[in-house]
Amino acid sequence: FVSYQVEILDWKTKEQLCFLDKVEPNATIREIRLMFHKLYPRLYPARQSIKLDPKGKSLRDEEILQHLPVGTTATLYFKDLGPQIGWTTVFLIEYTGPLFIYFLFYFRMPFVYGLDERFTSSPHPVVNLACICHSFHYIKRLIETVFVHRFSHGTMPLRNIVKNCLYYWGFAAWLAYYINHPLYTPPSYGKKQINFAVVMFLLCEAGNFSIHVALSDLQRNGSKIRRIPYPTKNPFTWLFFFVSCPNYTYEVGTWISFTIMTQCVPVGLFTLLCFIQMTVWAKDKHCTYLREFKDYPSLRMPIIPFLL
Amino acid sequence: MAAGEAAVGGRLRGDMAAGGSSGSRADNGYGSQPPRRRRGPGALATAYLVIYNVVMTAGWLVIAVGLVRAYLAKGSYHSLYYSIEKPLKFFQTGALLEILHCAFGIVPSSVVLTAFQVMSRVFLTWAVTHSVKEVQSEDSVLLFVVAWTITEIIRYSFYTFSLLNHLPYLIKWARYTLFIVLYPMGVTGELLTIYAALPFVRQSGLYSISLPNKYNFSFDYYTFLILVMISYIPIFPQLYFHMLHQRRKVLSHTEEHKKSE
Repeated sequence: FVSYQVEILDWKTKEQLCFLDKVEPNATIREIRLMFHKLYPRLYPARQSIKLDPKGKSLRDEEILQHLPVGTTATLYFKDLGPQIGWTTVFLIEYTGPLFIYFLFYFRMPFVYGLDERFTSSPHPVVNLACICHSFHYIKRLIETVFVHRFSHGTMPLRNIVKNCLYYWGFAAWLAYYINHPLYTPPSYGKKQINFAVVMFLLCEAGNFSIHVALSDLQRNGSKIRRIPYPTKNPFTWLFFFVSCPNYTYEVGTWISFTIMTQCVPVGLFTLLCFIQMTVWAKDKHCTYLREFKDYPSLRMPIIPFLL
Repeated sequence: MAAGEAAVGGRLRGDMAAGGSSGSRADNGYGSQPPRRRRGPGALATAYLVIYNVVMTAGWLVIAVGLVRAYLAKGSYHSLYYSIEKPLKFFQTGALLEILHCAFGIVPSSVVLTAFQVMSRVFLTWAVTHSVKEVQSEDSVLLFVVAWTITEIIRYSFYTFSLLNHLPYLIKWARYTLFIVLYPMGVTGELLTIYAALPFVRQSGLYSISLPNKYNFSFDYYTFLILVMISYIPIFPQLYFHMLHQRRKVLSHTEEHKKSE
């Protein structure tokens, strides 16, 4: 039984931040983080990036000291990731904003469209429908954040939340402005267009929800083992035959349907940006799957069946 | 072709003056960076890039000569824009190809950064100077055209020489020094031109759309231009100081290299 010594250096200045004596060989990085935290109370574990190489990737909590390519005196590097915020908190803030911001425009708060239009309502039914759909979408997201999602990372840097909120809240305000504007023009093809859009919207929301549930079921019991998601009895999950990230596919579908429903260019632009962002995420996820699983189904594309 | 890669790469936004360094890498033409996974341009791509950079150098030289000739012929420096309008439009727009170069990986620069830079130039050329005819006789136009011309001649010849692995120190020095004057000069010219265009845009409602319309969209070009002008405030100092930083790195590295020879 050999006990390890662990020295932790600052990744930039290389000064020794701490020296841990008599560390068990089967200690996990998580435990080392906790030990470091005891010495530096302000640097809670989520803020610590511990790595083997100053410019390398952060080590995961589950890694075991003796399995790392280090001698019995291990040198690790520390980087402060800055204040962190939990994913759940981030999502709650990100999604509550658009929900209420939309209402400011829907109910035509005085400062939005001028005093003459304050608290008036639109003569077009589609405007009410759009409010219901938009609110439904974000309420659904909030419910999923609290009850369904299981996040693999605990936290993200605090400054991300400013960036993310600006984006979500800003766009929500921008598109709500036009949809609820007194000079709003309803869709050119009238009821047909709106009804089609509503049906598509509901199907995509149901699909998106089904996928989230399916993904969450994969990680029962907080197990950190990753598994390939497969189609279940739920027909909405059959998209898994063709796509790695059907949740993104359905999400894009939702926004396309909302664009059709409102026939509003800002909504279309938001949809486009969502599509681009989700394609990037989907490709990333897809590559990760391909790397991790040798028997990954070859028919699957990242986000659009057969195409993308 | 590491030197080629290192030098051809890296531009900074509004590469207005002979600055534009290689982003986060020491653009010293000596390829002293960690090994990159991306494969560099092959022989065919290098040949194409040499041709491209030579053509662009020549193009901007044409513009420079055009300006001088027009000045001599007219006897004054006012309204010289008209004499170089066509080559300016052609060669500045041609720079859009550089976005593709990054996208295809033959130039190791960020696509987004390059796109942003080129688009801002193209925006000024077409959406402001070309579209608002009344500003074409403004002196501010001459200010940025001169700044761009000198910058681009140096920048493209820098790339050409780097690709051929034979970079004269003078060109490198010029690229990393003249920007100190040219960059503010160009920015001033651009801002004054946009400012001059404002009343005409307001009057004519250029590129603007108002409610109601079936796309449920509105856009006020006048406000947009004002926002563009405001955006210079955070962007310009950042880039300027970054280029100064790059200058220190690049030129001092060359000094060391020379001393060690």
